Amino acid sequence: MNPNVSTRVVSGALFTVFSLMAQPPAPGQKIGTIGLYRNQQLAPIGPAGKFADGTPDLSGAWLGGGSSDADISRALKPGDQVVMLPWAEEVVKHRLSKEDPEANCLPAGIPRGSPYPWRIVQTPTHYFILYEGNIHSYRQIFMNAKHPDDPDPTWYGHSIGHWEGNTLVVDTVGFNDKFWFDYKGHPHTEKLHTIERYTRTDLGHMSIEVTIDDPGAYAKPFTTVGRATLMPGTELLEYICQENNQDLPLLQGPARGPGGQ
Amino acid sequence: MRILLAIAIASVAWLASGLPALAHHSAAAEFDSNKKIDLSGVVTKVEWTNPHAHFYIDVKDASGNVINWNLELASPNVLIRNGWKRNSIKPGDMVTVTGIQAKNSPSYGSASLITFPDGHKLSFLAAEEPAK
Repeated sequence: MNPNVSTRVVSGALFTVFSLMAQPPAPGQKIGTIGLYRNQQLAPIGPAGKFADGTPDLSGAWLGGGSSDADISRALKPGDQVVMLPWAEEVVKHRLSKEDPEANCLPAGIPRGSPYPWRIVQTPTHYFILYEGNIHSYRQIFMNAKHPDDPDPTWYGHSIGHWEGNTLVVDTVGFNDKFWFDYKGHPHTEKLHTIERYTRTDLGHMSIEVTIDDPGAYAKPFTTVGRATLMPGTELLEYICQENNQDLPLLQGPARGPGGQ
Repeated sequence: MRILLAIAIASVAWLASGLPALAHHSAAAEFDSNKKIDLSGVVTKVEWTNPHAHFYIDVKDASGNVINWNLELASPNVLIRNGWKRNSIKPGDMVTVTGIQAKNSPSYGSASLITFPDGHKLSFLAAEEPAK
């Protein structure tokens, strides 16, 4: 990328970030509940913005948009189904709640949602997703790059990104097989390949579709659908789950959703 | 008061439904929504930490023995965004707490509502609305 364009994009991103940080509630700013959070500034109505070079601006603190933390099969593209291979079904039957990596303060992976906000930071070469939850970690997305031939398996895999119109497409391979898709313990293998599609549909909302293709664990690919909401004026807070995780020894019984299903 | 009640009902409903207390474990795997607790005592310690804030209170049982209860709240991140401060509850405070008990601990619970002697309340998720 032309260095001038790079500078503009970075400046634009920084400008937007600082604008949000500095933004006091505007007169008439609506207040309401976003997720678990009450008395929040609601996003002003309006079209999604772009940087000077035309790149869609995805900045801001976002809430939601990931797959159901309880059960990944709850919010799928119409017609899609989660069909596990027999070994995967057997694994789910024997998993225990206390074994969930997330309960152990290990990564929730992709695309498991959390009740905490997250942020995308756009630079010319790398995009970063900063998670407050999902163990307060980050992902890096290498823009317009290629996957290595034999990536070392990791929790978040190796992600490359490109734009298709106003949609950011993130392609990830190179996962280890450790994270669970949900409380129920839906598994995956190192063959997992995810394709995330992020589209800021208006100033306050982002549509997120994630296709899960793992022929090692599922009979066919499926796509989760979600919608993130902007939290204007919100900054990410520190969340060090490892500090005082007293719950683990108290978790009883088989892996299951929060309602016990 | 109506707002408080709404918060209390929402908190209890939220706990009962077992929605992710912190999205890092299943609440249903840890707490028994049928084991209600209603405790009064003095706060001995507060841990303003993730993944959950905790406070501890000394409670006298029927025989006069003092049991130190460990009570769990949402994370500081959730509480802060919902009006709590890190010193909203402090050692020495006298409180009454309702909530639910852990499945396998006699003195560990999830606090849904905390009431102070002057009547103000805090919930698992949120602080009382500031006076307007």
